[in-house]
Amino acid sequence: MLNPFRPEPAVIKEIKKETHDTTTYTLTFKDANIQADYFFQPGQFNMITIFGIGEAPISISSDPDNRSSFQHTVRHVGNVTNKLATLQEGAIVGVRGPYGTGWPIDLMQGKNVLIVAGGIGLAPLRPVILHLIKHRAEFGKVEILYGARTPNDMLYTDQYADWSRQDRFRVLFTVDRITGDRQWPHRVGVVTTLFQEMESTPENTLVLTCGPEIMMQFVVKNLLQRGFNQQQIYVSLERRMNCGVRKCGKCQIGPKFVCRDGPVFALAELAALPEETLGGVAIE
Amino acid sequence: MAIAKHLGFNERIGIGSLALLPKDHLYDFVDQLMEEFVVVGPVAKGSEFVFSEIRDPEQVRLDYETTILPPKKVLHRPFQTLFSFREDGGITEEERINKRQVLFGVHPCDVHAISILDKAYGSEYPDPYYMAHREQTLIIALNCTQVGKNCFCHSLDTGPSLKEGYDLLLTDLGCSYLVEVGSESGTGIVERTGLALAPRVKMVEKEKRLDNARKKFRKRLLTQGLHELLEENFRHPIWEELIKSCLACGSCTMVCPTCFCYNVVDKIDLSLKSGRRQREWDSCMLLEYAQVALGHNFRRDRDARIKQRIYHKLLYYEPQFGTLGCVGCGRCISACVKKIDITEIIVRMRGE
Repeated sequence: MLNPFRPEPAVIKEIKKETHDTTTYTLTFKDANIQADYFFQPGQFNMITIFGIGEAPISISSDPDNRSSFQHTVRHVGNVTNKLATLQEGAIVGVRGPYGTGWPIDLMQGKNVLIVAGGIGLAPLRPVILHLIKHRAEFGKVEILYGARTPNDMLYTDQYADWSRQDRFRVLFTVDRITGDRQWPHRVGVVTTLFQEMESTPENTLVLTCGPEIMMQFVVKNLLQRGFNQQQIYVSLERRMNCGVRKCGKCQIGPKFVCRDGPVFALAELAALPEETLGGVAIE
Repeated sequence: MAIAKHLGFNERIGIGSLALLPKDHLYDFVDQLMEEFVVVGPVAKGSEFVFSEIRDPEQVRLDYETTILPPKKVLHRPFQTLFSFREDGGITEEERINKRQVLFGVHPCDVHAISILDKAYGSEYPDPYYMAHREQTLIIALNCTQVGKNCFCHSLDTGPSLKEGYDLLLTDLGCSYLVEVGSESGTGIVERTGLALAPRVKMVEKEKRLDNARKKFRKRLLTQGLHELLEENFRHPIWEELIKSCLACGSCTMVCPTCFCYNVVDKIDLSLKSGRRQREWDSCMLLEYAQVALGHNFRRDRDARIKQRIYHKLLYYEPQFGTLGCVGCGRCISACVKKIDITEIIVRMRGE
């Protein structure tokens, strides 16, 4: 019987520092055949093992069309991710996946897309952005709203120019606060302040959002007030996971297993649950 | 000592056949099983009972009401090594070849619980560790003719009698056990142990004894309208009372036959170059259960954890596995130092 808990060795090919506490790792499976067979949907995650420390679910953040390697953008905040920070290029980690649901790429065809991300929440949305760029003609207008704590906490800063110059792409930024005397041409405030200059309307639009749950709570509330409905808003949730395959039970919300039924959910799927079980995504 | 074969019947033994196991032949029967299988059955431990590997047939106690832990522990082990690893990513998986085992004297509630675990671990990405144990396990079940003080299986239709999920099913008829055959493996055991076949009329006696048992239940958990009741009472005052009472110790989940949650830890050797990945039973009642990096906890509040347990058992198993998550064994009631009683919670909600 296949063992779904067995991680496959993968090599860290490249390490790129994004911010003081966040790094992007480029990985390939040690076994070339496994790498050749490996593909994922934007929004899915892998279970990443540091042998001797443990395993953690981490979303995949690279271009899904790139089959020669895959990337994880990791914020160093836990046992596994802190240990990951000490590894050099060439080091081995364990990987199994991909797991979970992806963003609704098929449903997005021909529609406008509004992406609202907060902090590390941009990582699971980057595969979507890269997909939208590569398959530009299949989608309508794209608007990306990204908020971070400070300008120094923003991910993928070297790619914003490329995103912004795409046809019918609009990218807006905000930070909670500015550090020192740094010049900042964008907004200051939580991510919902960007709604004031947002061009997206509920018409023919799907919304993808990921970030801290308290942020998503306000994003959702605000969007619902602006006439968006629960069927057109998709959220990606974080939960503790020890298996990724609906066994360990840790990630349950009501009857949902976030590892399998999520992490990407249509808001309407969550609205049927008692609000306490949503751990913060209160839907009014 | 061989058991003489009853010669009065020409009926071939098969699924649905009836046989008799005289009580004074019980130990011989267990002894014969032990030649072929690891036998795990109920034994006395102080004033209580536990499932344990039988070393001496005379240890077996079929007069038990309930065991401290359910027989789940030999299928989903409290501690299970998943594999050994080296720092460089080399992995050695544990041998998963187990000797065939018989779970002996399992009550209907626990058999139902195993069928729920089969769904939890056996569906989509089957759990190889659970399945390896499960596929090697035969179940010789035992209908309940006596009832524990916290039992309420009769109201959930998970006892005191069993309809399926067994290889053999015993019922205490006084001087002997009626043996019902439920599978090919069960047929083989009856044949090899030379049990005498029993006439159909014995079923009448069986039903009489089970009807008698049904009158002895002191607790119940009515399932009619249960979903609506739970959905409407997420803010019932009972939850406030339970926060004050519940210690969130996790005992209720540790003894539950349908709880399947586990935690995974890496145990590293002194060399720091190799180790083992292990899993161990976990509990949604414990504070750290839903905690993620940076210390954020999705169920920090105790009432969220108390509700999670009750709602999962009585509401969420249904969409997940197509069945209620409670089998009425009453162990969570017995194990609770604060005497929290799942049947009482529902009684209070119903305003009875």
